[in-house]
Amino acid sequence: MVEFKEQIGRTEIEKFYEFCKKGINMEVASYLEACVRCGICAEACLFYMGENISGRIDPTLTPAYKADLLRDIYRENYTIIGRIKKLLGLGVKIKPEDLKEQIKLAFYTCTMCDRCTKACPMGIDTPKLVSIVRGALTYAGLTPKDLADATNLSLEKGSPLGVDTQTFLKRLEFISEEYEVDIPVDKKPAEYLYLPSSIELMKFPSSVASAVKVLNKSGVSWSMSTKAHEATNFGIFAQSKEATKEMLSRVLEGAKELDVKYIIAPECGHAYQSMRFIAPNLFPEEWNFEVLNIVEFIDRMVETGRLSINRKVLMEKSTLHDSCQIGRRGGVLKEPRRILGMLAEDFRDSVLIPEHNICCGGGGGVLVIKDADYYRQKAFLSKMTLFDKVGAKTVVCYCANCMLALNTGAKELNRDYRFVSIVELVAEAIEEGEE
Amino acid sequence: MKDVVFYDFVRGPLLKFALFVFFAGISYRFFRVVFLGLPADYAKPKGNPYLMAVKKIIIKPTMGWTFNEIFSRRAINFIGGFLFHLGFLGLTFFVPAHALLWKEIIGISLPVMPSLIVDILTYSALGSLIALTLHRALNPVLKLLTGKDEYFANLLVALILFTGLLANKWAGGGLYIWLLSMHMLLADLLILYIPFSRLSHFVYYFLSVGFMGWNAGKRGVSF
Repeated sequence: MVEFKEQIGRTEIEKFYEFCKKGINMEVASYLEACVRCGICAEACLFYMGENISGRIDPTLTPAYKADLLRDIYRENYTIIGRIKKLLGLGVKIKPEDLKEQIKLAFYTCTMCDRCTKACPMGIDTPKLVSIVRGALTYAGLTPKDLADATNLSLEKGSPLGVDTQTFLKRLEFISEEYEVDIPVDKKPAEYLYLPSSIELMKFPSSVASAVKVLNKSGVSWSMSTKAHEATNFGIFAQSKEATKEMLSRVLEGAKELDVKYIIAPECGHAYQSMRFIAPNLFPEEWNFEVLNIVEFIDRMVETGRLSINRKVLMEKSTLHDSCQIGRRGGVLKEPRRILGMLAEDFRDSVLIPEHNICCGGGGGVLVIKDADYYRQKAFLSKMTLFDKVGAKTVVCYCANCMLALNTGAKELNRDYRFVSIVELVAEAIEEGEE
Repeated sequence: MKDVVFYDFVRGPLLKFALFVFFAGISYRFFRVVFLGLPADYAKPKGNPYLMAVKKIIIKPTMGWTFNEIFSRRAINFIGGFLFHLGFLGLTFFVPAHALLWKEIIGISLPVMPSLIVDILTYSALGSLIALTLHRALNPVLKLLTGKDEYFANLLVALILFTGLLANKWAGGGLYIWLLSMHMLLADLLILYIPFSRLSHFVYYFLSVGFMGWNAGKRGVSF
């Protein structure tokens, strides 16, 4: 269980300190030592940029600054000068306000999108450092309330939106009737296991239906699972290892039961991240599956000739929004561009280098945290600059959380962008091909 | 003959001591971090992490312009920083006047630059350093990030470049030995100061950028 406490006392501070101290390894220490205080990372941060667009400068949004408390803790425990200072009583003194600031810095104004890493001349992976700060805050019981609630609901019921197995099956029945698709559940033998995310299931059911259509059309043997029915992993947002492991163990159980070779992650950034890069380290012996993102899967099917996209379905000018956890941090960047090239008449990439795309502003759990709304809206402003640069009103996404964040942002700021899922476009294209 | 005694001191024992502290300190700082170790990673990499790490270490300093919007907003950092490092490292290793020194320290004579290049590098490094320092003092983000360390280091390096420039142009003039000794004294101080300050970032560059490349290779991205 992830805790949320209003009061910050001595115990919380000690726990925070202890976790930060334990989180140091060679990689983290290199990053902490390498910072040359150039501040270039600020220019890469969508939150800083968003404030800047409105004419305000908030230096505390600089990514390098987010790691400063961690850096101080590292210094006084691992360096000679730091230790001497600590002995002389000149060590780090953390006050409750400092931890409050850390909550703002790590949870409200960082989506761990990794853009600053790409801009940093020293290659410092700030998301890695922020993840330690987040983990320490969670360990001290200081996870923001909304995020803690969603994580706990996920642990209890199996999904952050409270979708349990029964709701899951009901929802699938609805999708199956509404969109006229066959959905295999717990079907053996299956080669592929497909997991939807509850955001898709509840808010974008057509996305799930489209994925089902694509899977059926490609002719592979696949199934959904009642055990592994949730792909999202809020444990990563809160950086609680126990919660992450618990949620992944459900996926593992479902995948083992169906004895699949591949797991297909849905259009959900951190679901892919957790299953592709984190799960093998949490279950080194048992995790013997190849994890593909649905976009990767489609690309592979098109390449091997099992799917053919012959029709353009997107006529207006369009651009692509990259999900950070699937794209920049997951390596799926060429695939969506290849697919979109086949689908769109007038596709304009908003960035020269795909790795430099801007985050939606709602990743890393920021979207669920109400107190972070102001910052998320500012981040949306930075994102908008890219859409407007190419002059596209239609934006293709491959992450449901991004889509939800972008839709929310557009609604709040009264913008008329249209966000569409790439899988839906593919489903439309292969359907039209049949007619 | 006080000036010669002083010269011999900063050129001899003090330099030796500084170099000893420098190498010991830098090795300690590097290996202290290396010995912290890494947790095993069982996730199958998408690309080649090792190749990417080496590639990033080699090409990263020249790739700032690829992130063109940031480059345009922070041209002073990228261009100034590049020119400063080019100048500072170029001058440290390849100035004719340093050739003898290097022969003593490492036993091999390094190639030397023509004096015109030396002048260009000195002026560009000094100019960049002044611009960078002003930027540091005026930009709100940098104001928050900067401590006394940075200003002290900038001042020290600027004085070394300036006295070096004077020494190079002033040969045979009044107080030449004092000037040269001053240049050497400041350089000794800098060598002593590096292991205790953020100037030791050059050793961590290999680790930090190496890890960044390693992660990029693991994820199969090229930037």
